[in-house]
Formats: sequence, structure tokens, C-alpha cells
Amino acid sequence: MFDYDARPVTPQVIVAGTHASAAAYAIRDFLTRNGQPYDWVDVEQSGAELLLHVEKIDVSRLPLCVLPDGTRLEAATVEQVATGLGMVSAPQLAEYDLTIAGAGPAGLAAALYAASEGLTTVIVEAVAPGGQAGTTSMIENYLGFPEGVSGNELATRAAAQARRFGAEILLARDLIGISSDGVGYVSTLSDGTMVRGRALLIATGVEWRRLEASGIDRLLGAGVYYGAGPSEAMACTGSSVVIVGGGNSAGQAALRFSRYARLVTVLVRGETLAASMSQYLIERIAGVSNIVVRTGTQVVGAEGDSRLRELVVATDGGNPSERLPADALFIAIGGIPRTEAAGPLELIHDEGGYLMTGTDLASAQGLLGGWPLERQPLPLETNLPGLFAAGDVRHASIKRCSAAIGEGAMAVALVHRRLAEVGSG
Amino acid sequence: MEALAPGGVLVPSPEFGVLATDERIAAAAEALERNGFRALVVDTGQEARFQVRELLPDGAEVFNNTSRTLESIGIAEDIERSGRYQALRLRLYQMDREMQRREMRVLAAAPEYVVGSVHAVTDDGSILIASASGSQLGPLVSGAAHVILVIGGQKIVADLETGLRRIREYCYPMEDERARRVYRVPSGVNNVLIISRVLVPQRVTAILVKEQLGF
Repeated sequence: MFDYDARPVTPQVIVAGTHASAAAYAIRDFLTRNGQPYDWVDVEQSGAELLLHVEKIDVSRLPLCVLPDGTRLEAATVEQVATGLGMVSAPQLAEYDLTIAGAGPAGLAAALYAASEGLTTVIVEAVAPGGQAGTTSMIENYLGFPEGVSGNELATRAAAQARRFGAEILLARDLIGISSDGVGYVSTLSDGTMVRGRALLIATGVEWRRLEASGIDRLLGAGVYYGAGPSEAMACTGSSVVIVGGGNSAGQAALRFSRYARLVTVLVRGETLAASMSQYLIERIAGVSNIVVRTGTQVVGAEGDSRLRELVVATDGGNPSERLPADALFIAIGGIPRTEAAGPLELIHDEGGYLMTGTDLASAQGLLGGWPLERQPLPLETNLPGLFAAGDVRHASIKRCSAAIGEGAMAVALVHRRLAEVGSG
Repeated sequence: MEALAPGGVLVPSPEFGVLATDERIAAAAEALERNGFRALVVDTGQEARFQVRELLPDGAEVFNNTSRTLESIGIAEDIERSGRYQALRLRLYQMDREMQRREMRVLAAAPEYVVGSVHAVTDDGSILIASASGSQLGPLVSGAAHVILVIGGQKIVADLETGLRRIREYCYPMEDERARRVYRVPSGVNNVLIISRVLVPQRVTAILVKEQLGF
């Protein structure tokens, strides 16, 4: 097969901006994670005007996006691009049996099983199907894929499968609020769309933990990125890449970037990778000559002009800090649960903010004071009847893609029980 | 053989750009039917586009071959951008060029549906398709479960020999110009597929259009 067979033949989106632009990065990241092909034009490179069919580029109106139909979006945002590409749709129904917040592995699995069993189902997702797993270059230990599968491919297949059974996926809008509505819940999206579901599954996963170090926030999107940065791999050709983190996401990102970058340095705070990374990834990394793993090391500062140039790192043992040249920094240091939208509901969570469910609620003294039903909460059910949680957002969940998928599937059986309890509405 | 203009540029032979009469198109369609194709005749490119939409089920996995015909009448856009289908080109685009190479090859080799065009149809119902890389010929022969071919009415020729001449003297110069412009490499008549009989009933649908479409 030839590479031009693996490219669309119709015109694609053109994204133009500077490499140091966080807004341009957000659009590239959104398009990449949604599998939307695009051509990137770096306006600092010669010939950019020609590619954009303009005499002079107005740098104050970047990023510029040219859509396939010729529409030009100046100072473009992700929302405008998503709308322009027809990716933003309204809910088809006034009420669903099940609303799912988050289209990661848990949410997609729940959507597939719910829809295939006849429940009217909708997912709301801010960015793209796949969640954190969707940005993973290669998952090699997922059942049934002996040669591995990319997170994006797995998510694309799952989303297509769920849609085939009738599940709706509402993309490109943040979930900004959840409120009770009779026996069900209303989810409000950032564009004002309201989605009513008789049961709700929170499968919003986690977002990357912020790295507290000087210069990081200023250089975000300009060489500093959270997550595995799937849109940036090609741009890192020949460069020096640093990845912070010791989990599987960091390991997979290291393998991905090692194929493009001259050098990949993995900085791990702990003394060993074994505590946090799967053994197969540790072995893979050890076999790649341009990946260096430095344990007992952390980033204390990021420096650069319009983009990242070097990092200041500190090592255990009181050695003076060291300067590490870096063209790009990818931060994958664990997560914090995404539950802001459910804030007013006062869901019970643990110290880390992860949602408590089922027997974890029932066994903890005093947690279920306001529980309104005679029965105990079902497994995966929060302290509000009919509101479930699955995947990484849930307290004590196993942080693995397959475990999240299992929880998503399991949640559907529990939703059935809940819907039987409240009747057909 | 090909005519060369000053500067070595190939000039397409104009005799192969002439639209066939309605009677000749109808006769070619009957001949294709006799050879196991499902043949449909439509008046315009837009009717062909509608016909392709009718033939492709929602959600189907579809590979669209590189084709001026499909691009000019909006079929390529329907497949890649409407969201109605699993456009295989988009899926392949997302896959990892190194780590998923084998999977990509398998997917591209056996799509559920392939939609493309041809370079010549003979009066007695054979079709000819040329390809520089050959990558898109396998699915047409047997890899794809269903094949839909959209064919401009100027592509009907007397026989196989004339069909081969049409490829060399008409299609190749234009394709070569396109390949140099788009891929920055020359094209070549490196592989030629002739389908003279289809054994699986209804597998290959040929939509003959009474308009000049593509090369």
C-alpha cells in the first residue's frame, strides 16, 4: 500500500499559525484527536503566503483556518472549526434513557452496550472520542489485538460501533453543569444545549495534573504540552524531547516520539519505573537507543523566548540543578478527576476528588446520610440514585483501558435495574 | 504512440475524448450485463452521484479510488466528508505508518465497498483500468465485497486493443501531468487490469454516464 492511498483526496482543513501559538496547537490537537486530516502551515516559513493564497498574512488574526468549502476563519477557535466542519450537532431526542458524560473507553463501552440493548443513549464529549487512551500511540496489552492497536484507532472503531447501534455523540462542547430533574438529570453544555437523561453515567476520566514549575504556564502550547501530544510527533523530527512522568502514558509517548526525535529524555520523580509502568513498556523503552530514562529527577523550571528552549531539572541527593536543552516538553504526570460540572450536586468523593460509588459508599460511616431509597447504592452508583460513575473518575478504579471498558459495560446492566425501578417515565 | 509537444510534454490524443452516442452507451451497458456486471445508465454526473448514494448503505466501509470522475461530481466528497460512511482513507490516515503498516495494508486490500472509475469500456463489455502503483487494482478484482464504477460516456472503445491505446495515448498524458503536480512523481502505465467477466452476481456495478467525465 502506498501512502497516498492513506490520505483523503478531497480538500482538507488548512491550519495556519506560528509554532509558538497555543491557540493553533489547540486546533491541531482537536483535529488530530478527531481523526480530521489537516495541512499545517507555519507562517514563519517562507512560502506560507502562497499556500494560503494571500499577499500578506495578518499576524494579528492568527490562527487562520481555511475549511474545505473555502470558508476562512481568522483568529479561529476550536469551537468555530468544529462547527464549520459540521461536527457540532444538536441532540435528536428531548429525553434519553442514558446520558453519558465523556467518550473515553468507559463512556464508549457504556454507549455501545446501552444502545445495542435498546436504550436511547447520548454521549457528551468536549474534545474527541477516546479520552486519555485515545491519545496513546500503541496499546499492546489490550485483549484481542496481538499486534497492538493505537488508542485513536480503538476509539474510532468504538465510536463507529456505538453510532451504528444508534448512540448519539455530541462533540466539541464542554459539559458545564449537571442538575437533578425528577428521577433523571439534565446536563448543560457550554453552548447552552441541554440534554435530559433518566440515568446519567459520569465517565469523564481525569485531566493531566498541572506541573508546578516556573515558566510552564507561559510556554503552554509553545513547546510545553500536557499529555501525549499526538499532533506534535512529526514536528519533533530531529529535535530533543522531554517527557515527564512514569506511567504508561509517558512510556507510550516516549516510544512514539523516539521514532521522530533525535533524543527522548524521560524524567521520573520516583526511583524506578516499575511502580507505575507496565513491564512490557519498560522493556520496550530499554531497547530503544535514543530514549534516556532519568529517575529521581524533576522539572523545576522551563525557559525560552517565544517557545521552549531549555528545562531546569533537579535531581535527588541535593545536587545543584541542571539545564537540559529541550525543544518540547510533554507532561504526563497522573491525573485529577474531572468532576467540576457535577459540583452543585455534592457527589461524595475521596480526598483526591474521585467519585465514591457502591459498597465504598455504603461501608463508609456516615456517607449515606441523605440516601433516599430503601436499597443500598448499586455498584458504580454514586450517592445520588441513577447517577453512576465508571472509569478513571471513580474512586479505586483500576487505571487501565480494559478496566474502564469493563466498568462501562457493567454500568449498563445497573442502569437497566435503575430504569426498571423508576418505571418507563 | 503518445504525441510529444515541444519540451517533451505528452499531448492527449483528442480522438478518445469524444462522448459516445446514447445508442452506443446503451449497447455497452447490455454487453456489460451479459458479462456479469450490473450496468446502469444515467444522464448526468449528478444522477450518478445520487445512484452511488443509493447503492452505499449508511455506515458502510468505503474506499474511494483516486479518480477525477469521482472528484468532479462530488462522490469523493460524499464518501470522505458526509459522515454517512466509514471512509477508509480517513481511517487509514489516522493509523500509525510504522507500527500498523500490516493492518493498513490488509484494510486497504479488502474494503467492503470500493468506488472508482475505469479508463475504457469496450463495445463487447470488458473494462480496462490502468494504475501506476497497482495498489487499487487488487480490491477491484476480488478484495472488495462490492465494486461501484462510475464511467464517463467518452470512455467506450471498439475493443481491447483500442482500449489499451486509449490508456497510453489519452489517459496516461493527463494522469502523468496530475501525478507530477500532486505527488511530484511521474505516472506510468505499469499495471493494466482487464475485467471481461464477473463471476459473482451483482458484485460489480458499472454506472455509465451520458456525459464526459474524468480522463
